[in-house]
Amino acid sequence: MTMITSEGSYRHLYVVIEHEEGKPIPVSLEMLGEARRLMDDFNKRYSSNEKVVAVLLGNNVRKLCEELLFYGADAVIYAESPELQYSRNLIDTKIISEIAINKECVAKISPDYVERFKKPRYMFFAADNIGRHLSSTVLVELESGLASDINKLVIEDLEIKHEHKTKGQAMTYAKTLEMYRPDFSGFLWTTILCLDNRNPAIEREYHPQACSIIPGVFQPLMRDSTRSGIIVEHVPKLEEQDLNVKILSRKIIKSAVDFDTSKAIISFGRGIKDLPEENIKLIEELAKELDAEIGISLPISKKPYIASETITSKYMVPDRVIGTSGRRVSPLLYIAIGISGAMQHIAGMKESEFVIAINPDENSPIKDECDLFIKGRMEDVIPILIEELRKQKLVMEVRK
Amino acid sequence: MEHFDVAIIGGGSAGLAALKQLSNLEKQAVLIEAGKTVGSKNVSGGILYSKKPKNGKVYNVEDVYGQEFVANAPLERLITKYILHATSKDKIFSIDLTSAHKYQANFGYSVLLNKLNSWFAKEATASAEKQGGGIIPGVHVKSITWKNDRTIVETNELDEFEVKAIIAADGVNSEIAEMTGARNKFTTEELYQGVKVVVKLPEEIMEQRFGIGPNEGAAHLFAGDITLNHIGGGFVYTNRDTLSAGAVYHYDSLIQKPDEPYVLVNAILNNPMVREFIKDEVAVKEDIDKGLPKEEQLRTRFAVSKLVKTWDDLRHSYYSPASRAKLIESGKYKSETEIKARIDSIHQELSDKYKAKFVTDYVELEYSAKLVPDGKRCRMKKPYNKNILFVGDAAGRGIFVGPRIEGLNVGVDDAVRAANAVARSIDRNNFTHSYLGEYYTRLVEDSPYTRDMKEIDKDYLKTFLDATKDVPKDIVGSRYGMIFRLMTSGTLRGLAVGFANILGYDRLLPIVESVETYVQVPVEIAEKAGTVVSSTYTPTIPTIAQRIAKLKYDDDNLSHIKVLHPKNEFMKKMVILCPTKCYSIENDDVILQHEGCIECGTCAKETEWRHPRGEKGINFQYG
Amino acid sequence: MGKKRKGTMVSLNTAVIIKLEPDFSEGNVSYNSDGTLNRAETKSILGPHSAVASKAAFYSKVKVGARISVGTMGPPIADYALQQAQLICDADELHLYSDRIFAGADTLATAEVLKTGINKMEGGKMDIVFSGHRASDGETGQTGPQTAWKLGYTFLGNVIDYDIDLEKRVVIAKRLITLQGFYDIIEEVEAPLPVFITIDPSYKAVFNTVSQRLAFVKYQKEANERAQNYKKYLKVFNAQQLGVDPKFVGLPGSPTIVYKVEKIPKAKASRKAEVVDASDREQIRKVVMRMNEILGGMVIK
Repeated sequence: MTMITSEGSYRHLYVVIEHEEGKPIPVSLEMLGEARRLMDDFNKRYSSNEKVVAVLLGNNVRKLCEELLFYGADAVIYAESPELQYSRNLIDTKIISEIAINKECVAKISPDYVERFKKPRYMFFAADNIGRHLSSTVLVELESGLASDINKLVIEDLEIKHEHKTKGQAMTYAKTLEMYRPDFSGFLWTTILCLDNRNPAIEREYHPQACSIIPGVFQPLMRDSTRSGIIVEHVPKLEEQDLNVKILSRKIIKSAVDFDTSKAIISFGRGIKDLPEENIKLIEELAKELDAEIGISLPISKKPYIASETITSKYMVPDRVIGTSGRRVSPLLYIAIGISGAMQHIAGMKESEFVIAINPDENSPIKDECDLFIKGRMEDVIPILIEELRKQKLVMEVRK
Repeated sequence: MEHFDVAIIGGGSAGLAALKQLSNLEKQAVLIEAGKTVGSKNVSGGILYSKKPKNGKVYNVEDVYGQEFVANAPLERLITKYILHATSKDKIFSIDLTSAHKYQANFGYSVLLNKLNSWFAKEATASAEKQGGGIIPGVHVKSITWKNDRTIVETNELDEFEVKAIIAADGVNSEIAEMTGARNKFTTEELYQGVKVVVKLPEEIMEQRFGIGPNEGAAHLFAGDITLNHIGGGFVYTNRDTLSAGAVYHYDSLIQKPDEPYVLVNAILNNPMVREFIKDEVAVKEDIDKGLPKEEQLRTRFAVSKLVKTWDDLRHSYYSPASRAKLIESGKYKSETEIKARIDSIHQELSDKYKAKFVTDYVELEYSAKLVPDGKRCRMKKPYNKNILFVGDAAGRGIFVGPRIEGLNVGVDDAVRAANAVARSIDRNNFTHSYLGEYYTRLVEDSPYTRDMKEIDKDYLKTFLDATKDVPKDIVGSRYGMIFRLMTSGTLRGLAVGFANILGYDRLLPIVESVETYVQVPVEIAEKAGTVVSSTYTPTIPTIAQRIAKLKYDDDNLSHIKVLHPKNEFMKKMVILCPTKCYSIENDDVILQHEGCIECGTCAKETEWRHPRGEKGINFQYG
Repeated sequence: MGKKRKGTMVSLNTAVIIKLEPDFSEGNVSYNSDGTLNRAETKSILGPHSAVASKAAFYSKVKVGARISVGTMGPPIADYALQQAQLICDADELHLYSDRIFAGADTLATAEVLKTGINKMEGGKMDIVFSGHRASDGETGQTGPQTAWKLGYTFLGNVIDYDIDLEKRVVIAKRLITLQGFYDIIEEVEAPLPVFITIDPSYKAVFNTVSQRLAFVKYQKEANERAQNYKKYLKVFNAQQLGVDPKFVGLPGSPTIVYKVEKIPKAKASRKAEVVDASDREQIRKVVMRMNEILGGMVIK
């Protein structure tokens, strides 16, 4: 069948940056780090010179552009305006899409590739509140595909045989971005590809291959102020009807659950299921003894078990989730109770100093992520721990 | 601010009747109920009566909801047998008081209030909606204020709104009465504490045991040692496929000698006759062999639980003609014999394969308690405050005359009168106390129920005495000698009663309502003339912790009751008298843990007592 | 409020897009022995986020008497989800977009179908369209915003509360934005109709006047009655009836495909655990001592 006609039309990896108070949000730097690693490898393998281009919208963001170069971007395309002070989906989508197809910018960044340039080859967004929605709308505007909540990326030449895409024939898709997303249980990886339709009946090119990336997964580069690059300004078209959303107020709220100041954190997972109400109450008692805050694994936030209104509304809430889709914590003492150890939960607590797991199953993955594994059922173990803690507390008081 | 014509506060039987009546009169009214659903906070003994007094008229449920009421409402059983038992240990002397129960009555049906009030609510809502009103559950009234002729209702959950008149039907612990200063809180001399449990019993087994037909019911009352020396009595009523078993005590008697309410209800359950009433075949699960692998243990546990549940459910369906028919109709079983065979085979499997045992015991479904006002002592003489009319328990209008305890029907009667008075005021746009409040007071005074709270009805007395003709005269006579002779003589009775009524109930009450009358006399009667009743098994009575664990709550993190005097004697007694042990003593102070509260009001007298916020607190399943 | 309005003109057209999903609640969901989901044994229900979106739509009916349409793309059995949604929001119209060629659609192709369907809803142009935060199974959260973009509606995501000003024809909404590494923000915005709202799972409809509560009861009753005969309100569209271009729907219209599914390999153990048996009292004592040490208590000899 016809060979890749799109060669040359799609270049570079565009990374959409999010920022607040003049500083980039951590995931933005993480994305740049991964983008850098991918493209360095890409350029070596394919002997090419494609760039990592950061895309930045905001007000007074010129200074931030340099920072992005220090963290791995080859170039930054930015749009500035007081109207872009805070993220608003409609205008942001329009401008990012404009930037994505702006050949003038590409001319300044990578003149050798500008002639046939249509759109970016790859595009990264943050998988957070803003990024998830922004990536969705931008990709509709750019008429291409998006995979969300990704935590592993590989660029590969793939041999694909697909009923629709290739009409059943085997074809090579070079430079395809494999986008891995974990399912909600944390045990399965689904790999998504965004591929051109090479079936003549439905022939279409789909670029950029885009994804939104889970915060806390990738490592940012070390800040290197010797890095240099090209900063290009894109003057946005600001039309009245695109600015129709008025921001009336913005209030910063502190989370009700404060993990950051807790020396000890106790989390529980699906292991509570035999007696959810009683087990949670036991855990509360233990937490009281240790002055610990209480967290949960992701499945618990979906309220899978029946407990009283008080307990359910206090604990089975997204605010307490520890993991990639929740909070990242690093206390001195972390106790995981009835948690099997799904990867996305581990990611949330692996920075803890000392990890204790309480689980009846010695084969659960958590055993490889803890310093102490207490084999037993929580309803048997916790009461003994509480007793011991109280006993030793008394001893310590006497000594004081 | 939104405004409506009438606000009815409290969705019990009285409040609902007021709503229905106002809708019947084409008036707009909004009923506010604190519970999550109507009926979730109601408890009754209970029997619902409809009366036809010789002199005067009362408004019955059929007058409000229509004559099809009996056919359509979820009533339990028509009580056709009403028996009083004098008890002393295992001896019982039974007195058939069915005539007293039927006295001037159209009917008396056993009821479970959650179900019944839900039905009332459905009916009332349908009519109320047509008038632009309705029922709003999950809202707790916080205050009523009057500003320049406007009456403003403030709640915890809604924006405040304005009304022209209010009907307060919020029960014996009426917050409206307290907040607006309409009356003082009822004293312990004016109240009874009632405690009960709902017991599960298959329909046809019940009918055979109590000697009643499928459309009949029995009410058994108990007096004597069964009340542990308290003034009051026990009861067992037959519902469709459950029993209501409990007791009602003079609160004052409990103050003098505090006994835990659950201990008192257990005394009822442990009486040999009651034991025999409540018993059934119950499956007991054996402990699972811990030596088996974990998954095996789990699987066995689930299998046994499922089988026991299937056996129990099927058995109950089998003994209920309606359920039996449904099973056969559904095609699952071809005949009754087949159902029985399946029950027996599960029984077999459970004993053979899983070593489960089947024993005689009883099954308790729900524990509850409530306070009942004694209308003789505490009815509001002027049951209104400005443009708020008080009905039912909120107005202190419960009827207690010997074994005759009535509250539901009185509430309904009051509600209709209140609704009529309010409707009249709406028509004339006159809500002044002389046009509304005083008028309502007159209507209520006219009610035969009020008469029963003021004077002895000599015809009722005659009926009662005639029923007791088999009671050994010497026992009674020795105590009440002259009075008794007066009462038993037809001619003298009229005079005596007239005289007694001049003296007034309150002078007579100490004699009539005393430990002598309620305990010692029945004990003696039972000892001297009773027959031995024995029971061959010992019921496994749940602990109070187990009973509380079975109750369903929507916990509020805020406490709805404030302890005002942590060190006083009354509060110390609450540690014993609270039906769900919410009070305890720590360092000489009485402290409250509000989560188990069933909102009976036992502690209301000396606390800042409120219901929890909307939707929060106890949700009774049976009531 | 009080008496029925005569000749009610519809003040607002509201739509909800929903999804039929596997039931993930305990007792209904089946897991394989390795902890992965057993799809075959798991029931299908109205997705929980779709239910929240339906509740949000219901608020508009109670508050301003809005007309509500619910739409979903799915297999024929997805009408169950529509019925459940109608129970929640007293929908006036139910749309099922069902055709073999829709199968395998990714979010872009799904959004194409939904956009076309929404434009066919009766009562005129939809003023507000609601969608859930994400589906419990796919969990991409993309379909909502993509449908919004195709419709050309202003998109508001993560909405935790909203209200409607009929006179100004605007929606005032509160959004919850989590800025990773910073803090959470509640942003209040005003946007002119039409809008597309993706509702945050923590949304709770609050009705705080007497008349709203009465309307709530009235419409809930109506919802129960309607849901009993939901087929009366149901319109089923195949691709042709919907008028979509087959090249833009289903697998053909999907830029992305699922390439493979695999178990996430156990990461190399980052720590070496000491195993303690719970029944060993002495060991537990030492564990507690260690805990106290770590938390900065005195080291006990």
